[in-house]
Amino acid sequence: MPAPSDPIAPFGGFGLGLRRTHYDDFLLGDVPVDFVEVISENYMIEGGRQLRILEQVREKLPVIIHGVSMSIGSAGGLDHDYLAKLKRLEQRIEPLWVSDHLCWTRTSAHNSHDLLPLPLTREALDTVCANIDHAQEALGRAMLFENPSSYLTFPEDEMAEWEFLSEMARRTGCYLLLDVNNIYVSAKNHGFSARDYLTGMPLDRVRQIHLAGHDPATAERDIIIDTHDRPVIDPVWDLYAQAMAMLPQPVATMIERDENIPPLPELLAELDRARGIAGSALVAA
Amino acid sequence: MTSLAERQGAFLRALLDDEAPLPAGWGNSQAAGLAVYRGNYRSAIMGALAETFERTALHVGERAFTQAAINHAIANPPVGWTIDEAGQGFDRTCAALFADRPEVAELAWLEWAMLELATAPDCEPLTPQDFADAVADFGDEDWGEMRLALQPRATTRLVDHDLEALWRALGNGGEQPDLGLSQSQCCLVWREGERPTFTLVEADHAAAFAAVQGGASYGELIAMLIGDDPDPSEGAIRNAAMRAGAILGRWLNEGIVVAINP
Repeated sequence: MPAPSDPIAPFGGFGLGLRRTHYDDFLLGDVPVDFVEVISENYMIEGGRQLRILEQVREKLPVIIHGVSMSIGSAGGLDHDYLAKLKRLEQRIEPLWVSDHLCWTRTSAHNSHDLLPLPLTREALDTVCANIDHAQEALGRAMLFENPSSYLTFPEDEMAEWEFLSEMARRTGCYLLLDVNNIYVSAKNHGFSARDYLTGMPLDRVRQIHLAGHDPATAERDIIIDTHDRPVIDPVWDLYAQAMAMLPQPVATMIERDENIPPLPELLAELDRARGIAGSALVAA
Repeated sequence: MTSLAERQGAFLRALLDDEAPLPAGWGNSQAAGLAVYRGNYRSAIMGALAETFERTALHVGERAFTQAAINHAIANPPVGWTIDEAGQGFDRTCAALFADRPEVAELAWLEWAMLELATAPDCEPLTPQDFADAVADFGDEDWGEMRLALQPRATTRLVDHDLEALWRALGNGGEQPDLGLSQSQCCLVWREGERPTFTLVEADHAAAFAAVQGGASYGELIAMLIGDDPDPSEGAIRNAAMRAGAILGRWLNEGIVVAINP
């Protein structure tokens, strides 16, 4: 069994999220992807069709399990039942890696089922690092954490998000899942430079990239919302190209679509575009 | 309590309740961001309820369902880590909101029971032949002490409406049938392989199911079916034994029994 401090080897594949509408495509055919990613919570169950399908897909492809409910930033600590069920899924699937988000989702009283933002303070950093240590110890492996999209910042913030992530990775040995669309969304919402974000990140800790679409600002609402319900836009592709040119090691790239899920060929076309950009970055390097 | 814990508590209170004050130090920009998080929270809960209670929504109509879902989410903000749990107790919300249409709560209960079964642990049912082989050498005492393990999360409820007809009609988009039953029946919900399913059976299945699920022996089941008579006749005992056999036979045929004397 790997230890929490064991390194996660770079993996330069291209993949998609495994969504219910595409189950048959993956079960019956050979989908040209190098991995699939699943939402952990959908499979942290005891039995039934969904779990069997994941096991069948796992026989064909490497799987990444990506969570939305670990609540790594909760001041009250982690949920032991959640960790036990995640561990059971991890043992069952033997994923490439396990990831979640830099966020919090719940207090001891209630669960928001949303990725809520953390104040970027030293206190929050201490909480997150303690919780990551706990999670990595429980899982027996290092994890990846994703930079979130956010719609507000806090008056008490003491550092930039990339500084928070850098320190978090340094202190816990965790790795990073770089969501390029989230950088774009948060940069627009909070007025920072996406380029500064990339430059400030410990890029050697990145093992995966997410690409997704978002809901643009409107006349009534000047906040961009991360919706994962439409294709990746050109400025995000440009940012992806910049990231790929800066990364010192191969990383896995995934198109993340959770709503308005189109037929598989549309997502595969987006994935081909990612392959092309990554290939060009490699040639340039 | 650390200040981070206090801040998270205040954030969540403001997220769940439009009337709650903004957390200390927040201004217009945070209020605008909070509005986005509130929208995300509500659409996630509403989406989960709409997905779980698809037929209930069809039966009552979108507007009434949305109102019921909002009421449910306000009265029962989610606690667990899985959003599916948001639907827990929705049948009780429906019972209160649709008091003049009691079939709505029955339908919501059924959809919840089927969702629960979809992710239940997999298990091999005991076939009638397996059962026959297992009890071939049983004496009277063995029969009396026999206990049964039933499929995990299989469940029952007494209902007063023809949920089979309603389910079919909602699935086909057909005419809503006459729903009233002449007498209460037991809605038995279980899984056939990977597919949750249900049927209506005689009302006494419900109490029998609850007793066996609670650990009652076969002898205790027969005693329960005899009723309160302290000095039952031989005929009453024979009838109860035959009824217990019929109930057990039905469960075996449906694949609900998974083990003897587990």
